[in-house]
Amino acid sequence: MNVYYAANLLVYAGVDIIACLALNLMFGVSGIVNFSFIVFQAVGAYSAAILSMPPDTAFGYDFQTYLGGSQLSFPLPWIGGAVAGGLLAIPIGFVVLRKLRADYQAIALLVLSIIANTVVTNATRLFNGAAGLALVPPPFSQQIDPNTENYQYLYVGLTAVCVVLVLIVVARITDSPYGRSLRAMREREVAAMAIGKNPVKLKMITFIVGGVIAGLSGAILVGFIQLWAPSVWLYPETIILFAAVIVGGRGNNVGAILGALLVPVGFEEVTRLMANVALGPPGMIPALEWVAIGLLIIGFLWFRPDGVRPEPRHVFEGAPAVDDT
Amino acid sequence: MSTSDDQIPMAKSVAKDSSRPMLAADDIHRHFEGMRAVDGVSIDVPPGQITGLIGPNGAGKSTFLAVLAGTLPATSGTIAFDGKDITKLPSYERARRGLVRTFQLPSEFARLTVLENLMVAAPNHRGDSLIGALLGKRYWIEDERRIVAEARTLLKRFGMSAKESDYAGTMSGGQKRLIEIMRALMLHPRCLLLDEPMSGVHPKVIEEIQYYLQSLRADGLTILMVEHELHLVEQLCDSVVVMAQGKVIGSGTMASLRKQQEIVDAYLIG
Repeated sequence: MNVYYAANLLVYAGVDIIACLALNLMFGVSGIVNFSFIVFQAVGAYSAAILSMPPDTAFGYDFQTYLGGSQLSFPLPWIGGAVAGGLLAIPIGFVVLRKLRADYQAIALLVLSIIANTVVTNATRLFNGAAGLALVPPPFSQQIDPNTENYQYLYVGLTAVCVVLVLIVVARITDSPYGRSLRAMREREVAAMAIGKNPVKLKMITFIVGGVIAGLSGAILVGFIQLWAPSVWLYPETIILFAAVIVGGRGNNVGAILGALLVPVGFEEVTRLMANVALGPPGMIPALEWVAIGLLIIGFLWFRPDGVRPEPRHVFEGAPAVDDT
Repeated sequence: MSTSDDQIPMAKSVAKDSSRPMLAADDIHRHFEGMRAVDGVSIDVPPGQITGLIGPNGAGKSTFLAVLAGTLPATSGTIAFDGKDITKLPSYERARRGLVRTFQLPSEFARLTVLENLMVAAPNHRGDSLIGALLGKRYWIEDERRIVAEARTLLKRFGMSAKESDYAGTMSGGQKRLIEIMRALMLHPRCLLLDEPMSGVHPKVIEEIQYYLQSLRADGLTILMVEHELHLVEQLCDSVVVMAQGKVIGSGTMASLRKQQEIVDAYLIG
């Protein structure tokens, strides 16, 4: 297999895994239906981009318009992207998570995603509008030529390290008593309050942690593809990630990883392989991809709502055998 | 601190001043768009006693209990818990202070196991914070072991040990009610607000709950209990408050209430 193609596949898989782990923490474990998830990834990507790019007045970059341009070296842009995702979660969470009921939270977050994309598209001075940012310097580009096979290995390695770190963090949360409190809140918020849990605080913290991880995923992706535009983070992208978590198994980190590999990566690959198949008018296959994702979500919610890998049952040492009757 | 099989986690705290009511509600109103569900109710719940709250359906008992617990805000009036005003506190803060409620309808955490339903309520767990969780299992495992032991003691006492790893959502209505009572006890409450705790529970288990509530009272726990089964109220409660149409229409022992014709007519007949 071509090294460049394999690296592309693996980096996308890593980014999708990180995103799905974050969404699983928010939605699968804590019950927050964050339909604006892609905005957090986008803000991480934009932040990492402008932290690594020179100002828009610099030679070679003056064809685009954007704020900032700090030209920081790795890993600061990635850290900045993660921090930006977390910071964005604070005002959004403050407005959405405190007063609104869960279903209205989902609607508000979906609307927010659409508004954010529209604003960035039209406010061209922010991030160069619909054309987006280009020529984003990848990490270590001063030291290693990004167009070499060795660089592909390096980027896959960096992505893999981030995947492992994120997995450790989310596993520590989900497998802990704190994760148990999050699951209790997901199951019945009023009853959780009656045993001393503060759901607003629990949701806010989850939202911020999820935002940090989502921001990191955006930072990794923008460093690899070296461009970022509103067309990359339209709200349906969030739906794909939801489909991944639902298919993989809500509340299960392994399920989230599996879902990331089956849905975003899998669909991308199937679409690519079918590119040469003459099937209807142009654009038919991408359109069918959306139909398939919709059917996948409905099919799983109907026939296998717990996903391929359901949330694990927590059995404690010394427990009697589980009665499944 | 480990709990042996014979010990049951119970409330250790009683009111600091035994002459003062543990829970005092003063002129509580709760209106729903003009409908006066609770209409100027004032009661004192004495410490270390079981107080019954009875009345016909729609009397406002459960709404009043929800207002006391902070699940619903009062339209007006004040609530004091152990002498301190808690009217403005949210329900989770009241629970942390030891004022814990159960619900009229089953409110188990369905996709948590029975044991987890109890464990999740345990206060002061080192792993029950983001930092604690991120520090890893070594940081909180001792607390976890202590709480597993405590929860198992309760499960054994209520005859549900064999079900500890089953999902709470798969339990029967009566078992769910037991889970809720045990979950409340895991908080080591100072005052329990029980909303029809015997409803849907097997008669044998009702006896067990009765026995257990009496032993909790002997240990100094204060209980306010909404209950429809009057013979249970008579057996368990030191005093009883009767509500109808959002108001208190009488209070005293069941024996004294049976002598008041107005109350007999309103509720006790039959």
